[in-house]
Amino acid sequence: MARVYNWQIGRTMSYWYSENRPAKQFGAVFDINKCIACQTCTLACKTTWTSGRGQEYMFWNNVETKPFGSYPLGWDVQLLDRLGQQKWEGNVYTGQTVFEAAPGGERVMLSKRETIDYSYPNVGEDEIYGSVERGGSLALPQQMWMFYLARICNHCTYPACLAACSRSSIYKRPEDGIVVLDQSRCRGYQECVKACPYGKVYFNAATGTSEKCIACYPKIEQGIQPQCFVNCIGKIRLQGWVSTPDKAREDNPIDYLVHVRKIALPLYPQYGLEPNVYYVPPLHVSDRFLVQMFGPGAPAAVRAYRNAKEDKTLQGLFALFGSTERTIPRFKIAGDFALALDDAGKEFMRVPIYEPVYIRPAQDRLYQIMRSNTT
Amino acid sequence: MKKKFLLVLITITGISLLASCGGPLINAQQVIASRTDKELPREDPNSSLWDKVAEHPAKLMVQDVAEPKLAEPGVETIRVRAIHDGNWVVFRLEWEDKSRSLIPESGTGSDAAAVQFPVEPGANVPDAAMGEKGKGVRIWFWKSVWQDDIERAREGKGDRVVSLYPQGSTDHYPYQANESAREEMETRYAPARAAANPITAQSNPVQVVMAEGFGNLSPAPIQEGTGTGQWKDGRWRITIARPLNPGKGMDTLEAGMRSYVAFAVWDGAAGHTGSRKMRSGWIPLVVE
Repeated sequence: MARVYNWQIGRTMSYWYSENRPAKQFGAVFDINKCIACQTCTLACKTTWTSGRGQEYMFWNNVETKPFGSYPLGWDVQLLDRLGQQKWEGNVYTGQTVFEAAPGGERVMLSKRETIDYSYPNVGEDEIYGSVERGGSLALPQQMWMFYLARICNHCTYPACLAACSRSSIYKRPEDGIVVLDQSRCRGYQECVKACPYGKVYFNAATGTSEKCIACYPKIEQGIQPQCFVNCIGKIRLQGWVSTPDKAREDNPIDYLVHVRKIALPLYPQYGLEPNVYYVPPLHVSDRFLVQMFGPGAPAAVRAYRNAKEDKTLQGLFALFGSTERTIPRFKIAGDFALALDDAGKEFMRVPIYEPVYIRPAQDRLYQIMRSNTT
Repeated sequence: MKKKFLLVLITITGISLLASCGGPLINAQQVIASRTDKELPREDPNSSLWDKVAEHPAKLMVQDVAEPKLAEPGVETIRVRAIHDGNWVVFRLEWEDKSRSLIPESGTGSDAAAVQFPVEPGANVPDAAMGEKGKGVRIWFWKSVWQDDIERAREGKGDRVVSLYPQGSTDHYPYQANESAREEMETRYAPARAAANPITAQSNPVQVVMAEGFGNLSPAPIQEGTGTGQWKDGRWRITIARPLNPGKGMDTLEAGMRSYVAFAVWDGAAGHTGSRKMRSGWIPLVVE
């Protein structure tokens, strides 16, 4: 195994191949505080890519309820359990990644993936964590919580699927870092299916090959965000390009949220894959759970997000989410507007940071009636 | 005692072909492809012709050369017989497998077996584990799912999805919306087929492949091969047939020559796929 640097765990680690970063890395931020699990993203993906024979239970995009939902079944708890108790020391993960914990003869610590694990996409849906004690329903913060976790392939910098494929059928595109599975080369060994700790590679029984999210690369190549992003009615998603911390740019929306403000965090960074979908963690969930899921930066990210209403740049950037179909490589704040800029710095979208507020008097003087605020 | 005596005799004298009482002719040292003038049982693993030729019990070992390795041993012995007619040679392989695994699903594979030959016998024989760079191997690879595909099609039993989920129903597939565009749409939503992956267009239970080490297996230039398998009472009995001289880019066998052969077996129910397999080393092959 080679030694590579993984900035998300703050150290070098073992990986099957040497470090070889793409010219640009596909990145995304999901603000899951806004997700309502409407599954429009799931359907947008499904109708575009996985509506064929053998793809019936294949969801390149899915939204599950945490803490009890998971698709495929137990993808997260299963591996956490196998890895056992591990440790962060500050921002450095001193535990073992899935590459370092791989038993002899394996490239990656594998997960179990069986047909039954794909048979219950909605398991745990809307189930809450915790119980309400006497009078607890009136107390804040609320004792019970749940949240929705929207998931796609993380297009990891160190993909476990890629490392596990003995045929080298999976590769990272050098131009954009999107991880793709060569459908002409795959022989259906399913090593990638078992290796991806996020359970985001699927086996197609009809073709006998494995398949995964391709980040809608035909759209990306045209400067357009993927289907699950542009169809998100909650406007929780923003696709762009993520740099390494040393090359982070303040005017790059993804860099700003990930590196500058550290408000968007990777999913299970301790697995060691350097995943490139970043989550604004939910506000109302216990720190212990958030740290396990998003790393030690989660409590600070929650605090920063709580303060976003006082922060014009953050507010403006979040207003740009879902404002345009185009990928936003750069942004800036101008007055009360957030501007989306192309690579040359030319504006192509402008959104107001603050929604206009109209206050109508309770009494309508013209008709001499009191207005109802229920309409 | 008599069997013990025979084993000792084989070891001491090197006489390879002996008959034990009531059982098949056993040749523990090598695989002998006996010549016949009769029609070759290319797709008949139960032909009476097989009763007349010697059997080699090939010991298999876990593939532990390249990651991912096989952690738990699978099939430890396969019984091999071979017949040729001067043009083709047929191998009959027999092994115990309690479960008959046909269509692979998440977590399972397809029962399979392979017969491997060095491109160049003699001093240039490559590593038996998939060959080496510059020293290739040619492999005739039988897979139960490919045979099942053909049998289901012949019997009008529908595709793999129907077979896996006979009670399953689906609201709608996009390709059903427009009959004139059905084929194009079906292919579009079957990316491996759209990308012309050979394993999705396998009209033969035996695929001929080539390799120069692990990880670079690809279809051979000549796809001349056939075979069939039967699973009964916890036992696979299959044939794999190949031409002695398939043509350019392939290895060549001929009557009277000595070469090598190696075998591999996958147990689909145990999740054996790819390099997770039981394999043999090179075994001497005599083409009579």
